[in-house]
Amino acid sequence: MGELFAADPAAGVITLRTLLVSGAATGLAVLLGVPAGYAIARNRFPGRTLLLGFINTGMGMPPVVVGLVVWLMLVRSGPLGALDLIYSRRAMVLAQFLIATPIVVGFTTASFQALPPRLPDLLAVLGAGRVRTLWLLARETKLGLLVAIMAAFGAVVSEVGASMIVGGNLERSTRVLTTAIVTETSRGQVERALALGMVLLALAFLVNLTLTVIQQRSRA
Amino acid sequence: MDLEFDGVRVERDGRVVLDIAALRLRGQRTTAILGPNGSGKTTLLRLIAGLERPRTGAIRVAGAPLQPRPPLAYVFQERVFLRQSVRENLELGLRLRRVDDAQRRVRITEATELLGVAHLLDRRADRLSGGEARRVSLARALCLRAPLVLLDEPLEGLDERTYSRLLDELPRLLAAFDATTLLVTHSRHEALRLAQDLVVLVDGRVLAAGDKRDVATNPRAEAVAEVLGYAVLAAGSRRVAVPPGALKPGRGSVEFSMVVEEVLDLVERREIVGRVGDARVRIGLPPDCEVPQRGSVVVVHADRVCDLV
Repeated sequence: MGELFAADPAAGVITLRTLLVSGAATGLAVLLGVPAGYAIARNRFPGRTLLLGFINTGMGMPPVVVGLVVWLMLVRSGPLGALDLIYSRRAMVLAQFLIATPIVVGFTTASFQALPPRLPDLLAVLGAGRVRTLWLLARETKLGLLVAIMAAFGAVVSEVGASMIVGGNLERSTRVLTTAIVTETSRGQVERALALGMVLLALAFLVNLTLTVIQQRSRA
Repeated sequence: MDLEFDGVRVERDGRVVLDIAALRLRGQRTTAILGPNGSGKTTLLRLIAGLERPRTGAIRVAGAPLQPRPPLAYVFQERVFLRQSVRENLELGLRLRRVDDAQRRVRITEATELLGVAHLLDRRADRLSGGEARRVSLARALCLRAPLVLLDEPLEGLDERTYSRLLDELPRLLAAFDATTLLVTHSRHEALRLAQDLVVLVDGRVLAAGDKRDVATNPRAEAVAEVLGYAVLAAGSRRVAVPPGALKPGRGSVEFSMVVEEVLDLVERREIVGRVGDARVRIGLPPDCEVPQRGSVVVVHADRVCDLV
């Protein structure tokens, strides 16, 4: 791996880009998914079961399908074509965000549902506002939320279909580790593809190890 | 801090859960809300705590509308703690109410010592035993020093020893609260022991309310009598309520025929269980009393009964 980075500085840039794109998508999914998961866990409303069914289906959504839908939206002739996002890192973040969000919402809903049902009531009568209540409950279900983040990051960092379709795998702007592996393999550069694969695994391992350390500390 | 209910109605899934035309609970006293399971007792507390809103009607606290939520302490029926230490759980409410550090320490020390849980302060609150958790819940409520205290079956599910010890201590604690306290219970014994006023709630409706002596000694309606532990029996053409423990074997002023279904040997004493008309009753036998056979018919009496309307 060291040799790869020494011989090809672009590998470092691709790795950093991968981390930024997938990290941003996961972060945005957490920002939206955690409150949404809390709202679904806490409230009863018509169509709730159907919504949970969609979310659970979304947790296993093929990235290539998400990529195709986002491409159709962002392509110049599409409804959001005027935004000029197609074949950009922002388009990749958007696609990965759509992949990560159902995962975060699904795990978060389950985590909040596992808390004592009266806990939000307790916090309310003690005087916590809505944001404070959400924050305290998120801390309470830290283990579950970290699982959600790990699962979401794992899904988006390893996907190739959506990034390839909406990012276009442009060498200097939208190539990430997974699309780079596909490119190198198609060029017959199997050793280089394997090395990039090792980098991807190491990246996923480091992020998950960090989250696991936090998770296990909070169990103590 | 008086509490007033005016035309309060709560519906859930099309079913009326609570329907209170008018009710006034007197301030600075303990009022027990008595009723069978599903009668709306907890819903009543949740309305006062602002955790639910009535479909119609209004609740006033000391003459003012309920919203925003008045400062209150709520002891839930279930154990509800953050996965943190007892100290952190106790501190949370005080922090949220902007009580300063020094005051927090004083209040937590006082409350935990009063409830005998000072030694648990550094233990994880979610790993306490049932009795410990009850005490810590009460300590959390106590250290808030709220003018309104809501207790939802605070002694439910305790073993007999812890139950009687806490029941002995609760009057002292309630005095320490010096607040308007509402106690939800389905135990007549707890209600009479701890409260000055009683409210009898059946199927979401208030059937009796007032000073505990007035309510407990004169149940005019059958449902009220049953909630208060009276045996509702037919005496000739009359329906009467016999106070708990007032039925005795042998002849007396108001007599009933009882079919003995079971004889219980409780070591220190014997009891007979059987039927008077449709009602199932249980009577203690004096030590020198002959033990009747199962299936036999015996005469029992009560010296004091209440006529039901």
